[in-house]
Amino acid sequence: MGRVKGAVGTDSGIAPIIGTVFKWIVLLFFFLFTFLPLIWLLISSFKTNLELQTRPFAFPEAWQFINYINAVKISSLPRLFLNSVFVSSVSTALAMLVTSMAAFAFSRERFPFQQGLLNLIIAGVLVPIIALMAPYFRLTNGLGLYDSLWALILTYSAINIPISTFLMYGFMKTIPVELEEAAVIDGASFFQRFSMVVFPLSRVGLVTAGTFVFLFSWNEFIYALLLTSSVGSRTLQLGIRFFTSQFFTDYTSMFAAIVLTIIPSIALYVFMHDKIISGLTSGALKG
Amino acid sequence: MIVQSRRKTYIGIVLFLLPVLVLYAMYFIYPLGFVFVTSTLDWNGVSAPTFVGLENFLENFRNPTIQLSIRNNFLWLFALGFVQIGFAALVAILLARKPRGWRFLRTVYFLPNVISQVAIAMMWAALYNAEYGAINQFLEMVGLEQWTANWLGQVETALPAIMVQQVFYIGYFMIIILASTMSIPESYYEAAEIDGASVLQQELHITLPLIKDILVTTMTLAMAYGLRHFEATFLLTNGGPANTTSVLGIQLYKMLSSLDYGHANAVGATLVVLGVLVIVTIRALGRRTSAAEGMQ
Repeated sequence: MGRVKGAVGTDSGIAPIIGTVFKWIVLLFFFLFTFLPLIWLLISSFKTNLELQTRPFAFPEAWQFINYINAVKISSLPRLFLNSVFVSSVSTALAMLVTSMAAFAFSRERFPFQQGLLNLIIAGVLVPIIALMAPYFRLTNGLGLYDSLWALILTYSAINIPISTFLMYGFMKTIPVELEEAAVIDGASFFQRFSMVVFPLSRVGLVTAGTFVFLFSWNEFIYALLLTSSVGSRTLQLGIRFFTSQFFTDYTSMFAAIVLTIIPSIALYVFMHDKIISGLTSGALKG
Repeated sequence: MIVQSRRKTYIGIVLFLLPVLVLYAMYFIYPLGFVFVTSTLDWNGVSAPTFVGLENFLENFRNPTIQLSIRNNFLWLFALGFVQIGFAALVAILLARKPRGWRFLRTVYFLPNVISQVAIAMMWAALYNAEYGAINQFLEMVGLEQWTANWLGQVETALPAIMVQQVFYIGYFMIIILASTMSIPESYYEAAEIDGASVLQQELHITLPLIKDILVTTMTLAMAYGLRHFEATFLLTNGGPANTTSVLGIQLYKMLSSLDYGHANAVGATLVVLGVLVIVTIRALGRRTSAAEGMQ
């Protein structure tokens, strides 16, 4: 009975059959829309460029692993990958450190303008970051960081302050104050209450907010485009944009390069999809 | 309550808030001020600026490319806010009944949100490609050669092509709506079933009213994304052909590239104001309908 087993089987007549057919058409459509393009890209990345034109929907005659060797050679993928790992990890660490400190003060202490400051910071999620291209460009130049990975690190951490403060504040509110009171009796200072009690207990919140910031930084494109120019400070996402000119008409090697850029994200998703989903959606759910 | 040396604690609070406040001032307050102030200037970023009042805004609103971009931003807003959320809600309601394989489907639907917009856009550029793209090749294979097109290169098809590529990736909002739908107690449905309500009636009269708040929230988010839209268009058409796919973000980037700070930041200020207006309007409408239902 109820929703899960559904009335479909218990009713008689044609309506439930139409309902079932409709349901599976909808579910299958969105499944294929997501899945088929990725499969097409993957299979095509093992073809010769002639096969791509002549046998578009068949498996390759011989699987062209050479495309993947070309891809790595032409696109300097390892360098792009390392840059992205560095930028995303440091941005995440920095954002988590500063926002968990602020969230600790906001959730544990009383001080003037407390609620006003917290609201002001969280209201930052309403700002369309894309509208701030000009000031971010000037700010980065002013700091002497243009065309460096640190330009991106600072920008990505700062952009994520509103959402991470919101998530960390929400999480720390749920940690019982009694635990700290015990520490205070043992002589713990303000800093020790944070570093030895609240921060270690915030692991779940840190993973959620950290996943959000990491994926944001890993996939960010606009500011990577605007704030860097040389190959040395190019991230993976920005690198993909140059594939069309680098690979010219060697389309299938370019497909191989795109597949290589997608694989780390999919691998991570397969292993920890529940954490990633909750990390990416919790901001909206609690908002 | 925690009692400690107040002076020491105040120093601690200030030190702990300082990094966030400094970064926030640098990356939110200063930039917003910069955008609004420079939107009233005639300035190339180097020489001395002159104050022109609202002239940049008026010129922008008279500029046919900006007009087209604003229209396209609103098309995006409606496409994401109504069509994408509509599909996301439909799929969420279907999955909430836990049909066979629903966990697997949920995971697959969400997958594109983990992959970067850039990689997704490059993949669709290949799918839409006129010479080797899978879409034209499929149409030829099934004997619909007359339907083949240079999807991203033609005025008639470019904008719909980019929109299709975004609107049907429903996973993100679907998961949010699904979580809310699944939290509705099973007993509501059991009671309705005993009363003889069909599945459709149950969804219309139990599920929809109970997930209204999350629908308003996701709609607001989707509409905000519609105004911020940039990446897919930048990578697939860069606003072309003949500016038919242009949005405000693209124009902002182009104006900035030609060092026209005044007009660029007038576009930026327009984006900020429109964003706030959309959020306030949707919230207010959401509350009005709740109040109206309450009175019935």
